[in-house]
Amino acid sequence: MTTKKQPTFSEAFNELEKLTAWFETEEVDLDEGLEKFERGLELAQICKKKLAEVENKVTTLKKKFAELDG
Amino acid sequence: MDKQILTVGNYLRLVNETLAMIPAEAITIIGEVVDYRLSQGKWINFDLKDEDEEAKISCFATVFKVQTPIESGMKVQITGYPKVYERFGKFSLNVETVELVGEGALARSYILLKKKLADEGLFDESRKRLIPRFPERIGLITSAEAAAYGDFLRILNNRWSGVEVIHIPVHVQGQHAVPEILAAFEQFEQLPVVERPEVIVLTRGGGSLEDLHAFNDESVARAVFQSSMPVICGVGHERDESLCDFVADIRASTPSNAAERIVPSRHEIGREIEISIDRMGDTMGIIVERREQRINHATSVLQRYIEQKMHDLKMTVERFTYAFDRFRLALVETRKHIERSIGMIEQIFSFILSKLRGETDSLVRLFASFDMQKVLQRGFSIVRKNNKIVRAALELAPGDTIQVQLGAGEFEADIK
Repeated sequence: MTTKKQPTFSEAFNELEKLTAWFETEEVDLDEGLEKFERGLELAQICKKKLAEVENKVTTLKKKFAELDG
Repeated sequence: MDKQILTVGNYLRLVNETLAMIPAEAITIIGEVVDYRLSQGKWINFDLKDEDEEAKISCFATVFKVQTPIESGMKVQITGYPKVYERFGKFSLNVETVELVGEGALARSYILLKKKLADEGLFDESRKRLIPRFPERIGLITSAEAAAYGDFLRILNNRWSGVEVIHIPVHVQGQHAVPEILAAFEQFEQLPVVERPEVIVLTRGGGSLEDLHAFNDESVARAVFQSSMPVICGVGHERDESLCDFVADIRASTPSNAAERIVPSRHEIGREIEISIDRMGDTMGIIVERREQRINHATSVLQRYIEQKMHDLKMTVERFTYAFDRFRLALVETRKHIERSIGMIEQIFSFILSKLRGETDSLVRLFASFDMQKVLQRGFSIVRKNNKIVRAALELAPGDTIQVQLGAGEFEADIK
């Protein structure tokens, strides 16, 4: 568990959505539910952290067609 | 001047050599297209008619060279090489370029190309691809100087984070626009798959039909169609449309709208996360409550069971006590009965005993009498008074009654 690499936002969010769906549709078992709920909280934290901290980055690619500019 | 005699063929070659001396590239001919015909999908024939006088040139072109859609009635400017075709003896212009003149012609051409691309299936809804919900790498094709660039990035930053935008700067209008946009698409295609953006944004601000020509260009529309990455196109204002809009996988109304279509709002997603967690929490709450109810139910069932058992036990004890009392009473009764019976038996016994004893006595007496009998038979007699043997005369007084037993019989006698 500790060696597992941090999921991307998309992975974390998708897993969270799956968990939500599980809670909405399955006959929830208490022990399994608690485990999944804890995982949900963890994922929500990961998502929120990613939403808060990261900036967008712009890279400008060099033109390959410089000659066209004449 | 010497007269020359030439064959028809040689003469026409001379004419054509002469015609070749006209600087074709430097001359643009303006006129109206009449009798436009396309044969075998390749060969274009039309006449270019002078607007003011009766004059026309027969024109020939191929679809490979001339891609601008034209039709009869359009005003155009063309360049080309004049030639007389030997076989038909007909003068015509080999068209090199066609440029539409005026908004009307441009609009008409736009409609024609739009219909052509639609017929080919470039606008089909079925080929529209989805973009990832949370793209991490976005390709941006636009001019760095354009307001569109700033608008797009501003909205992108307002809404979302963590995206890598790969920008390829291009002219979005003017003569370099089309080749630069085509090269930009090609450049994205050539990136290693892992470095390719998940979606390409092609955008610019609004403008006239002439300004937007690059976004209505057939080759650009085809580049959008052929892109291996989904393309979102956002041009100008709400009302503006371009052919690229129709070909693109997603059509955004403006550059800002393109950003809105690509990334979600972090507030909305944050809220969605909150709701997800709340829902999970609620479900867990319900489960715990239900579990609690089940435990309470089980406890009460158990309690009722125990109470029932206690009650049953009490009843059993009571019944036993009652039965035991009855048994004890019966026992007492029985004992009394036995005691009574014993008394009766004793009475019977003593009765029988006394009877037996009486009988025994008589027998004894009988036996004794039998002994006496022998004595009596020798002449003795026994005198009894009140059944008691009288052994002395003193025992008798006058008036007493005595019984005298003889060896044979007996009698009573009174004493005098």
